[in-house]
Amino acid sequence: MSRTTKICSIVVIGIWLLMALAPSLLAPGDPLAINPTEAFAKPGFAHFFGTDESGRDIYTRVIHGAGDSLAIGLAATALGMGLAIVLGTIAALSPRWLDEIILRVLEALYAIPSLLMALLIIAFTGPGVGPAIVAVGLSTAPGYARLVRSQIRTLKNSEMLEASTVLGRSTWLKVRNHLIPNALKPLLALVTLGIGQAVIWAAALSFLGLGTPPPAPEWGAMLSAGRTYLHLAWWMSLFPGLAIVAVAVCATLIGRALGGKVKSL
Amino acid sequence: MNEQTLITVKDLSVSFGATPAVKNISFSIKAGKVLALVGESGSGKSVTARSLLGLSGGSVTASELSVCGQDARALSDRSWQKIRGNSVSMILQDALMALDPLRPVGREIGDGLKEHTNLSAKQRKQRVLEVLESVRMPEPELRARQRSTELSGGMRQRALIAQALAGNPQVVIADEATTALDSQLTALVLSQLRALKDQGRGVLMISHDLAQVAHLADEIAVMRQGEIVESGSAEQVLNDPQHEYTRKLLHAVPSGVPRYASLSSSGETQPSSAVGVPASGPLALAVADLSKSFGKQSAVDSVSFKLPQGKTLGIVGESGSGKTTTARMVLGLQKPDSGTVELLGERFAPGSESQRRKLREHMGAIYQNPLGSFDPRYSVGQLLADALSRGKSKRASEYRGQMEQLLEQVELSTNLLGRNPRELSGGQRQRLAIARALAPQPSVLVLDEPVSALDVSIQATVLDLLDRIQLETGTSYLFISHDLSVIEHMSDNVAVMHNGRIIEQGDTTEIFGAPQQEYTKTLLSAMPRLR
Repeated sequence: MSRTTKICSIVVIGIWLLMALAPSLLAPGDPLAINPTEAFAKPGFAHFFGTDESGRDIYTRVIHGAGDSLAIGLAATALGMGLAIVLGTIAALSPRWLDEIILRVLEALYAIPSLLMALLIIAFTGPGVGPAIVAVGLSTAPGYARLVRSQIRTLKNSEMLEASTVLGRSTWLKVRNHLIPNALKPLLALVTLGIGQAVIWAAALSFLGLGTPPPAPEWGAMLSAGRTYLHLAWWMSLFPGLAIVAVAVCATLIGRALGGKVKSL
Repeated sequence: MNEQTLITVKDLSVSFGATPAVKNISFSIKAGKVLALVGESGSGKSVTARSLLGLSGGSVTASELSVCGQDARALSDRSWQKIRGNSVSMILQDALMALDPLRPVGREIGDGLKEHTNLSAKQRKQRVLEVLESVRMPEPELRARQRSTELSGGMRQRALIAQALAGNPQVVIADEATTALDSQLTALVLSQLRALKDQGRGVLMISHDLAQVAHLADEIAVMRQGEIVESGSAEQVLNDPQHEYTRKLLHAVPSGVPRYASLSSSGETQPSSAVGVPASGPLALAVADLSKSFGKQSAVDSVSFKLPQGKTLGIVGESGSGKTTTARMVLGLQKPDSGTVELLGERFAPGSESQRRKLREHMGAIYQNPLGSFDPRYSVGQLLADALSRGKSKRASEYRGQMEQLLEQVELSTNLLGRNPRELSGGQRQRLAIARALAPQPSVLVLDEPVSALDVSIQATVLDLLDRIQLETGTSYLFISHDLSVIEHMSDNVAVMHNGRIIEQGDTTEIFGAPQQEYTKTLLSAMPRLR
């Protein structure tokens, strides 16, 4: 990957973080302020990205929506990965019968498309930001868990672990000091890729009206709202859509760059 | 026999970019003679050999480079291809890696013929069988149809040599062809090389170990840092070495050197036995009737031995004789089917790991590949701190003093604390492994092929270090190796393993001087000796 691509990705992710942490810095306006007289204004100097059907400024809403998408992306990945570490480690270290049971369960979950599973979970919990995080997190966990398990199984039989046993380390110390850190290192790239994916899924859930409830500014929800007026005000869908694409692409690019780095180690 | 010169090299230099690998060396290879190129890793031996095949990969200059009558300085890739395998060929080091596991060895051997000759398929097949017979492959017709994974180690080695001989080359290069082989395979390869010499071919032998080449070489050239520092007839170089480095290499060979005598420097006298060891006290290690089988295959069969404190017991045997399985059971890493291991008079195995854990600090382990036993994320300092802290605290600064002491004990610079072990040389890594094992101040060290991956000269310094540590601390060693000369030098007592059993054990001088078992006798006769 070229240097410029890497730098661009890092810059975009940086802007995204800034948008999420201090949205007012970039867009001082109120994302919820309604101004019916300016409804469906075209992108211009007054409104960079135009306005929606209630005259809300799209630019302000895109900026303020970054927080939710970041929270969902990070929290869902953390949840999925955390669960995966626990399940994967237990499976890798337990006797064969328990390993088999955990594996079969993971495979069964893996067979269900992730988004479908997320919908299933939301069907139980009802829509909202919290449920969206849980839904995306839980649906990514089986995939990660299988990777963690295979990593730890390889490491478990390594000379490094034997050396640690000979030095008299308890199982817990071996897991904490050697197994988990070394198993996670090659997964770092994957996690970065996963964040981009989680952002897309969170947006997809909101698009279906199952994530962040309106009128809160959320990219997926905005995309969905713009759909009705697509023939009239293309900008309502275009800019939130571009935001999703930019973040997901950059997370993926960074993930791939990290992946290359891990391989070369 | 005619004294025809097959290869003449004058002022050969090879460099990679700005770094010279070989500087102005000259030698010649004659028909029916063996030239040995000896030196440690990085001295430029392999680059020299590869430049005779046009494979050095660097820029080559020479005032003369004639290969079988051709001026090889300006050869095209195509012309080199005609030389390779036909005039000059090479026996590769690792039989397992060099043969394609998915193709029958017969076809691997015949490949070169297809390329270089006009023989028909039938004639090629005939030729393959001829070569396999000439290297004394048992049942050549059957073996030619088998894949390399179906062959034993010895057969694979024969197939590899046959591959080099298929094109009937005038010159054969053996690049560390005996390194890392156990003594019987080494003897096999050496006898094959001798046969090549008797057939009137020129042989270039490359090795880091003078003992390996001593009996075969007619001429020896000693290389160091890309230069030939000494060359001459084998007799002259071995008996009357002129250069200090040659003397150092000769001195590093452990066979026949008395216990505790230094290998890396001459004239040093050390006390003949360890100090600070209680005359009476529990045995460091007592192993009784240890057995282990995998499925129906018996790996270790009622092995018993005793290791007194401050002493070394050497376990020697071919690969697959059960040495490593024994070591793993002694270390409590593998559950024995039957038998017991007692450490300092207390039951160590069998038993639960939690019971064993409090005894663990009394026994350490050193492996052949130290890097594999280090956590790749840890620096030298973190590794030592982890060993010193028993895994509890991660603050390295608390242990600074102890860490420096350990590094000094193994003669490593304390500047290395912040480095990653990957940046260290092989010898340094093994020293670091020893330092880590010494951290809990163990009474017993189990050393499984600790110097097998090292050059003879580096091996000498590590063996000297182990001697010194034993004298200073009274640590007992269970020393496992396939290398008889190392075992002879390091052990007070020796146990010879064969097919999972200890067939003979006793005092080192007695076993090496007057072996009782037929197998021990063949092992010893296959051992390359200088003195």
